[in-house]
Amino acid sequence: MIRTIISIVITLALIVGVSIYDIYYVQTTFQVFHEELRTLKQKTELGDATYSDGLAVRSYWDTKKQIMHIWVPHTVLAEIDYQLDEAIGFLYVQDYVAAIPKIEVILGLSENVPNSYTLHPGNIF
Amino acid sequence: MFTNIFPLPSQNRGMGLIFIRTVIVFITLFIVMRLMGKRQIGEMQPYELVITLIIAELACIPMEDTSIPLLYGVISILTVYLLHQIVCIIDLNVRGAKVVLSGSPSIVLNKNGIDDTQLKKNNLDVSDLIESLRLEGYFSLDSVEYALYESEGTFSALPKKNYEELQTSLPVIIVDEGKFIKNNVTLTKRSQTYYHDVLKGQGCDELKKVLVMTVDGEGKVYLQEKGKKYKTFRLEDWAEKLW
Repeated sequence: MIRTIISIVITLALIVGVSIYDIYYVQTTFQVFHEELRTLKQKTELGDATYSDGLAVRSYWDTKKQIMHIWVPHTVLAEIDYQLDEAIGFLYVQDYVAAIPKIEVILGLSENVPNSYTLHPGNIF
Repeated sequence: MFTNIFPLPSQNRGMGLIFIRTVIVFITLFIVMRLMGKRQIGEMQPYELVITLIIAELACIPMEDTSIPLLYGVISILTVYLLHQIVCIIDLNVRGAKVVLSGSPSIVLNKNGIDDTQLKKNNLDVSDLIESLRLEGYFSLDSVEYALYESEGTFSALPKKNYEELQTSLPVIIVDEGKFIKNNVTLTKRSQTYYHDVLKGQGCDELKKVLVMTVDGEGKVYLQEKGKKYKTFRLEDWAEKLW
């Protein structure tokens, strides 16, 4: 009986702990990433963005992505990778008009992905 | 457009990765199953069966699909384990919960014969009961004092003291819940009319009132009408042992 209660408490603590950290980590990481993308988008709209700016965003993303693989389905991360690489490619050739929609897509993803982690009825069902 | 310059991370993950994921899921499952104190598969309570079915799927999907984080599977398995432990505590400590969670044993055969109400409650019929009895080594319905289906689905029977003397030949079902079993009627080298007369002789004028009627190779009849006590008798014109 005591052993069962202890196992319940430990398992519950483990699940709740992991769940809270999961939501917190995904939310904060995407928040920072979102800010970086917004800055990049502003610069791109003004025609000031450089290839290095794009690489700086990707550098941040690459470091966070390693841990993000634990929490987020890999297909979602691959989609962000794809769109980001496309945007950086357009910045490399200084095609700002083409780069903006790509950055927009990543902005949308960085907003929607963390939202899908909240304990909202829409996400539960 | 630029995927050649910036190649996508590979979606085709190697066999080594599948191997490691499988090992992790296996170890997690093994620990959880050991902690659950699982009994043999055939002796599971309903909620244990549900857990086993869910866990099998939860373990397989993240193991095989590498696009899903392994943690999804591990957390799901831990959640199922948590639910199992909670149900166990309720099952052991809350009066009345055991009946709701695990069900209760059903006595399907007693001193009056077959209890067809209990059989129907468990979605069983007379032939299922006879089959269960045979599996336990009792071939004649009157050789058993009590028979019951346990809550986890196993079958138990208490034989009569002289049960070996009561089952000298294999009985066959002649009437099963108001219907003749034609093949068995032919096997006894008698006709349906003959058995109608036998039933009339026992005061049963309607076939649909018969719950079960069996005859063994020596002409011993087990007859039970619905809602009545069973009776056994020998057919007088059964001259020789037919099987």
